[in-house]
Amino acid sequence: MLGYIVRRLFQAVIVIILVTLGITLLLHVLPGGPARAILGPRVNAVQIAQFNHDNGLDQPIWVQYGTYLGQITGLGPVLGGHGWQGVNFGFSYRLNQSVGSILAQDVPKTMLLVGLSYAIAIIVAVPLGIYQAVRRNKIDDYALTGASFFFYSMPVFWLGILLIGVFSFTLHLLPAVGPQGDNVGDLFTQLPALILPVATLALITIASFSRYMRSSTLENMVQDYVRTARAKGASDSRVLFAHVLRNAMIPILTLIGLSIGYIFSGALITEALFNYPGMGLRFWNAGLQQDYPVILGIIVIAAFGTVMGNLLADIMYAVADPRVRYSR
Amino acid sequence: MTIGPVPQESALSIGPISVAPVDAPAEIQDIVPAYETRGVWRLALEVFLEHRLAVIGVGIVVFMMLFCFVGPLIYVTDQTTTNLNNQFFRPAVSGHILGSDQLGFDLMGRLMVGGQTSIEVGLAAALIATTFGVLYGAISGFAGGFIDTVMMRIVDAVLAVPGLFLLLFLAVALAPVTIWVLILVVAIVAWLIPARLVRAETLTLRTREYVQAVTMMGGRGSRIVLRHIVPNAIGTIVVNATFQVADAILLVASLSFLGLGISPPATNWGAMLSDGVEYYADGYWWLVYPAGIAIVITVVAFNFIGDGLRDALEVRLQKR
Amino acid sequence: MSSRRHWRLRGTVTLVGLAATILAASCGSGGTTANKTTATFAEPPGASPNYIFPLMPLKYFSINNGDQFQALLYRPLYWYTTKGQVNLNTSLSLANPPQYSADGKSVTVTLKSYMWSDGTPVTTRDIEFWQNLVKANKANWAAYSPGEYPDNVTGVTVNSPSSITFQLSQAYGSYFFTYNELSQITPLPQHVWDKESATGTVGDYDKTTAGAQAVYNFMAAQSADVSTYDTNPLWQVVDGPWKLKSLNTAGALKLVPNTMYSGPIKARLTEFDEIPFTKDTAEFNELKSGNGVIDWGYLPQQDVPQKDQISSLGYRFEPWVDWGITYFPENFTNPTSGPIFNQVYFRQVMQLLIDQPTFIKRAYNGYAYGTYGPVPTKPPSNFVDATERNNPFPYNPAKAVSMLQSNGWTVNAGSVSTCAKPGTGAGQCGAGVPNGAKAAFNLEYASGTPALDIEMAQFKTDFAQAGIQLTLSTAPFNTVIGNAVPCSAGQACKWDMEYWGGGWSYTPDFYPTGDELWATGAGSNSGAFTDPMMDSLITATEVSNSVQAMYAYEDYAATHPPVVWMPTAYYELNEINTHLQGVDPLDPVLNLNPENWYWQ
Repeated sequence: MLGYIVRRLFQAVIVIILVTLGITLLLHVLPGGPARAILGPRVNAVQIAQFNHDNGLDQPIWVQYGTYLGQITGLGPVLGGHGWQGVNFGFSYRLNQSVGSILAQDVPKTMLLVGLSYAIAIIVAVPLGIYQAVRRNKIDDYALTGASFFFYSMPVFWLGILLIGVFSFTLHLLPAVGPQGDNVGDLFTQLPALILPVATLALITIASFSRYMRSSTLENMVQDYVRTARAKGASDSRVLFAHVLRNAMIPILTLIGLSIGYIFSGALITEALFNYPGMGLRFWNAGLQQDYPVILGIIVIAAFGTVMGNLLADIMYAVADPRVRYSR
Repeated sequence: MTIGPVPQESALSIGPISVAPVDAPAEIQDIVPAYETRGVWRLALEVFLEHRLAVIGVGIVVFMMLFCFVGPLIYVTDQTTTNLNNQFFRPAVSGHILGSDQLGFDLMGRLMVGGQTSIEVGLAAALIATTFGVLYGAISGFAGGFIDTVMMRIVDAVLAVPGLFLLLFLAVALAPVTIWVLILVVAIVAWLIPARLVRAETLTLRTREYVQAVTMMGGRGSRIVLRHIVPNAIGTIVVNATFQVADAILLVASLSFLGLGISPPATNWGAMLSDGVEYYADGYWWLVYPAGIAIVITVVAFNFIGDGLRDALEVRLQKR
Repeated sequence: MSSRRHWRLRGTVTLVGLAATILAASCGSGGTTANKTTATFAEPPGASPNYIFPLMPLKYFSINNGDQFQALLYRPLYWYTTKGQVNLNTSLSLANPPQYSADGKSVTVTLKSYMWSDGTPVTTRDIEFWQNLVKANKANWAAYSPGEYPDNVTGVTVNSPSSITFQLSQAYGSYFFTYNELSQITPLPQHVWDKESATGTVGDYDKTTAGAQAVYNFMAAQSADVSTYDTNPLWQVVDGPWKLKSLNTAGALKLVPNTMYSGPIKARLTEFDEIPFTKDTAEFNELKSGNGVIDWGYLPQQDVPQKDQISSLGYRFEPWVDWGITYFPENFTNPTSGPIFNQVYFRQVMQLLIDQPTFIKRAYNGYAYGTYGPVPTKPPSNFVDATERNNPFPYNPAKAVSMLQSNGWTVNAGSVSTCAKPGTGAGQCGAGVPNGAKAAFNLEYASGTPALDIEMAQFKTDFAQAGIQLTLSTAPFNTVIGNAVPCSAGQACKWDMEYWGGGWSYTPDFYPTGDELWATGAGSNSGAFTDPMMDSLITATEVSNSVQAMYAYEDYAATHPPVVWMPTAYYELNEINTHLQGVDPLDPVLNLNPENWYWQ
């Protein structure tokens, strides 16, 4: 078990390195570089040279990458003899703030939005999926399947627009824009504004999670052990609750693990639509403005979070299902 | 490649769960005598046709194709010359069935033209992503060992970056976005799932007796991959490809919403939606609902079809 | 720890500043204003103050950092708007109007008596301090243009604590030097800021280049941490009407009156706040809710149809003019299209195909105005002449077609026109335009502005009338700016036209001379336009003491366009609380003067 975890951790590190390398290469292959884009139309050659020099952009790319890697792991200053100075994600080109402080502000807000949405989704989707599996091919299964397809097939922003149209423009019940604020505390004071963004994300997630629960419950229901239990005379409900459900818990753990990963990434469109001040919105703005340090920093954090989330899911799965531990 | 929630296929891509149980095909061979293997596909077709939603899905897709590609030949509108004196007509005014948009274009005609792009990009991206992903996964799974590890780590790395982030980043890096850039960008994000799926299938199929037989007879790796492994994984591939189309249409819509879609005057449903949203608060509802409904209906249809295909090809779940 | 409590306190302050939006049943006006003593200003979307040190680098150079934040604390030497027009304002300037020597090679500035908020007088030492810092750190000064300030100041003589003389590298005209060069000076509190480290003592470090660089680096580092602004004693010494109370990283700003301000008007409000919005829909939502949180806000361009609804909430609608022009450059260095653009008649043909009135009416809902030359037509000024104001090339597609034909082109309306008669003679296409050259260009413009999408779509349709085929594409604003660069040798050169939706705001270069824009080799000459006549006319505006030089230059630029003139939209369509007085006229260089405001 420990070997499994260590192996996966090592793989995770490799993945992060590959990700940062890939993105760095891509960023610096872009023609022109960020100087003109950041500095605007008033810029002249002197200022471009100064900008490139200040941000190390006139170095060869492998030097830039090495420096960056050293910064984000904190090993750079250590190897340079300055001792441990903590991890440093660099300084935004535009926002006059360190990327670390930007992340510290934005990541909790995204976690709030996605965490709330996914928690609600899991609580609703699991019983829903199981119910659908039990009532397979009956009319309510079809109805619920149809409904969940409907929500699942909607672009996130379209659902959001519909909800805004109904609840905000027509009924005047809820604000059309998400909560605005600098830190998570501010957001909590604007709870009505939180309802629509969370609902948008949750509805779509419920749709897909319940489909997944339905199909994995169905898979379990045709396993041999179910036939054995029935052959031994167990009633349907006993089969369901005592056997199938326990094994269906495993995919639930998977969903939770995935959700942890999505916490760092899954809300970009919702944030853009509702102007929710989280990591996704920040990434979008940074992307449009070619603010490289912020772009890189967010991708690193998102990749790290996703990888850790998947690792957590796999560990939970390995703990729950002995078959996995001994396979590859 | 997700927009946030987990689509079915990436759930399938989670390592252990995605491995199809080893004995499924054996069951088919129990039921169906060897000389009647063609009957497997007949069986699948019958199951598919029983799946009501899947049939509806096919109907919708056919309708949408006709609407978008044949429609403009019947309902002819000028979709290249703007006329700012015709802005914002309400539906059923001045001969515009669905009204006109902010450029004076007839909205129904716009819907058809936009649909052409949305569907084309969806199909093309799904095709490219599936083809590349299938080959990548099959090669990786078949080669095994170090090559497999390296190839899969690359997949993991690309998967680790949240799909939409990667999509956004690529769109900004490759601006301006033409239709081919759009297809490429969506395909780059989408090929990972088929790669993973097919690799898992390959790992299973690799141990089959017929594969071992071919190897012993001296068959080359590429022959085995192309002639034996891929065709036997075709069920999974086709199901996944259908979902890919649905997801690609959604992704294109999302990209357009974020302002990184195809440049005007080309349009697609997502761009129509995102433009419409700017004017939604002003009461111009017809700029928003038709495009949104078109997207939802088409994507639902493809999802129904994919679901039906999966049920048809998942023989174990049949009550026979 | 006290910093944690401080952080939470600021969170609460932000909360109060932003206010919760509960059930948005929007009716009724925004509460009583009788006892209101504060005013809240909505910052433009996605643009918030984040840099306090007036010697700012280009990446922080913005209206919201300069005009709407720093200038309230640290007054620039001279003020350039009077009663809503661009004109030197003696009353609000820190000095008397500059006195030029007869030969134009030196200028003397005499300070009025102003005090820093710690009781020290503002002296010429503070001007010298600014001068030395800028000279040693030119690349970090946003408005720096090689050859101009501070390069053109060869020497500085401090005559007395109130009088300073600049020796200039050549004879300059008073308009140019006063409006464009002296405008860059902001006296800095030398007695507080002339340090090289936080614990060091104040000295005369700025007098050496190395020292000036060290001081600049220290001050820039201090300015890099927004969360320390309100506790850092360096920022407490100001000479403007306002003092900083707090600024957070999101951009929420709070200012309180500086009781020691020596200027003519003392603030009547007890506090002035600016609140940030990342998107215009968020601000509009707040405005529509009727909570009355926003006193000075704006109406997004695409929501103009809802103007009346906002008025019913107790706001008056006032478009805000910006002293600037809108245009886009063509690429004169492009091997295929450059020679075509080089032909004056072709550029005139393009201007004739631009239907500015329709764009203004349909894309901007009437809230834009025509641009026909390099000098802004609004607000009225002494610098605009009739030739430019009356538009030498009003929309006339028929004339455009005939002009193309008489210059050797075969016009194929709806498809691509081609050059039928190459050559340099009369009635021929012009130098460098080969036989069969096509009038087909790509035009990339900034995405994200609905008005621009409408404008560009119609633009393409209008150009097609003369067979000029445009291939449109969009990219993010910053990408477009990044692409609008003259091609260099050995590099792929693909762009024909790049339109970032704006153009140029004449600040701090208030006298619109164009030396940074279309002079050969100018820093912001995106298309590498070059014309010896233009160069000499521009030089004349810099050295002449008469505004006639400006008229001559502007007539030439209007009739021989170096770029494509496009309608200029209002900077913002403001919605101002009807009870807030002292706001008008709106400042055309986008300054904020909340010290003039009061509630009634």
